[in-house]
Amino acid sequence: MSPAAILSVARKECLHIARDWRILLVLLLLPPAFTLMFGYAFEVGAKVGVPTLVADADNSAQSARFLEQAQKNKTFAWRKVTPAEASAADPFQAKVRGILLIPAGWGAKLADGDPQPLQLTLDAGDINTALELEGALRTSLAEFQMNERQLVIDDLPEEVFEMGRKLPVTVRKQFTSLMTPWEVKSKNLYNPDQRFIEFVLPGIIGLILQLLTVTLTACTIVRERESGTYAQLMVTSLGRGEIVVGKMLPYLGLSILMVIVVMAVGGLHFAVKFRGLPWLTVICLLFLLSSLGLGLVISAFCRTQTQAIQVAVFFLMPVFVLSGAFAPLDQLPPAVAAVSELFPLTHFCRAFRIVSMYQAPIAAAAVDLAALLAGIAVCFGGATYLLSARKGD
Amino acid sequence: MRSLVVLDQLEKSFGRMRAVDRVSLELPPGEIFGFLGANGAGKTTTIRMLCGLTRPDGGRASIAGLDVWAQRSEARKLFGYMPQKFSLYPDLSVLENLRFFAGACRVPAAEAPARIEALIERADLRAKRDALAGSLSGGMKQLLALACALVHEPKLLFLDEPTAGLDPVHRQQMWDLLYELSHGGVAVFVTTHYMDEAERCTQLGFIHRGRLLAQAPPDRLKSSFRAKLLELEVDPVMPALLRLRAESGVLGAALRSGRVRLYAPDPEALLARWTQAWPHADLRLLGHRWAEPDMEDVFTAYSQGYDALLDRA
Repeated sequence: MSPAAILSVARKECLHIARDWRILLVLLLLPPAFTLMFGYAFEVGAKVGVPTLVADADNSAQSARFLEQAQKNKTFAWRKVTPAEASAADPFQAKVRGILLIPAGWGAKLADGDPQPLQLTLDAGDINTALELEGALRTSLAEFQMNERQLVIDDLPEEVFEMGRKLPVTVRKQFTSLMTPWEVKSKNLYNPDQRFIEFVLPGIIGLILQLLTVTLTACTIVRERESGTYAQLMVTSLGRGEIVVGKMLPYLGLSILMVIVVMAVGGLHFAVKFRGLPWLTVICLLFLLSSLGLGLVISAFCRTQTQAIQVAVFFLMPVFVLSGAFAPLDQLPPAVAAVSELFPLTHFCRAFRIVSMYQAPIAAAAVDLAALLAGIAVCFGGATYLLSARKGD
Repeated sequence: MRSLVVLDQLEKSFGRMRAVDRVSLELPPGEIFGFLGANGAGKTTTIRMLCGLTRPDGGRASIAGLDVWAQRSEARKLFGYMPQKFSLYPDLSVLENLRFFAGACRVPAAEAPARIEALIERADLRAKRDALAGSLSGGMKQLLALACALVHEPKLLFLDEPTAGLDPVHRQQMWDLLYELSHGGVAVFVTTHYMDEAERCTQLGFIHRGRLLAQAPPDRLKSSFRAKLLELEVDPVMPALLRLRAESGVLGAALRSGRVRLYAPDPEALLARWTQAWPHADLRLLGHRWAEPDMEDVFTAYSQGYDALLDRA
């Protein structure tokens, strides 16, 4: 392989890229735009002001106090309706996510030692919101219960306290403890602010790298074949390896530039921290090579650019869903999980997070690095085989 | 002189179709070899085999002693190839295309600029050096393709229908360049189906259904057509063409300048018979004349197997 020959192919490929300003625009704008979009779109902050109907069929002092308490919960934006309206309403038609009905006699039964449930109707079409509304209502109800308890305690006659004082200390302490809500104190490791961007950034980097490198690589050789220039290339003194390496170089450079842009947006705008940069670089390079290899396999297999794009898109679709780029993989059924292990993006995201987020020693990512290496070997071997199996046609 | 290109029983089949059928020929340096044949006769397949783009099924071919398939990477340094379809980069300029092919053909960086300038000059592309190749006219595209094929100064050129679809001015320009090259000792292997171009070659080969029917200089081929050519003026001419083709003693007939040209082993006998008794009452025989065979007649005779008209010595 001669560096000069490789360079002449690389320079030609750069000219192709430079002449196609539409693609260039996409390449330059898409990565930062994607990062910003994902950074904001999936930030799972608490929901605020979810439209909800409320009807008070009880009209007691208790229900009034409860509603006052619930108003403080910013999750809801209450709209008061009559009980009849509430039971007739359909959440979708009414453009609300939930309908709360306080049943008649609710307050009285609370005082009577026979607490009745509040009736909450939820739009479970959006699972996340439904769960969150239910949780928020529970919280409000719990707060209300504590307040009510305090009111009861404040109103207790002196005799009760007298009786209490006669109880043994241990029993009294037990009782006090039971009357206090028990708590969990959690400490968040690795991603203390629970920000989605911290989790998803490797996924965005991987997605962009995979999307652009696979499709562009798949097209670059097929385009030459389509236009007849491939035969022209073959009769020059260029070797197959020189053509492939020369074509890959500009895309490698572009991809590295895009990784830097995405990481800059993540780091400067979203204050995502990247640790273990040397290893991150290795992981990125391995992943890039595997993506380039994949593109090569597609280009060796396809006849036209249309085919190449379609094959690339159909391959990438399951990858995006199953690779764990945007959601953790733990919940996948074993058979699907096994499939996801076949995608380079899965290993890239895992290794990236192990190094940057978990700050674990690189040995923890050894399996993923090995998998990426194996993928590179399979892709380049496969592409060489496919290309040479049909030489001469 | 020692032959630069040698084909020995070269063969290629696609499925059950024999595209090239045991073709043997030799091409010395400095010759312009015209490879003539109809579409699908096997011209392009032969060129692609010689360029190492298609694997031969049988026989062998060599360029300067190098096998065109087994040693194709070395053989490729010796020739330039201009395919039938325009195969340069339309989004690159004239200069950029030439620069790329200079690099790809390993022209030393120190020599490349001067050589590229000389080629631009020779191909008359000065005014277009910074124009995108895709924006050039058909003729200029072909001239640029030729320049790209010449950038490593090969001793042999393969041109697959270089003048197809070109206007007469560019056609002439192309041929002037080819003559210049052949004077400089470059062997040119060119396919065409323009018969007038065939006469500009120093050597001709007729290929038909994969078989090489003849190989000789144009004059020799023309003189191998030994029968006389009778042309009849008949009115109306179209039915006459069909009717005369079916006459006994007639191998074939073609329309030339409004007359029916007859391919027949003994045209004098035919003329004698018809001047006595013209068999077609509805067609008027207005006159006759004798014509000199041209390259198209020779090619027709070879490709249609009119052996009675040919002197195959």
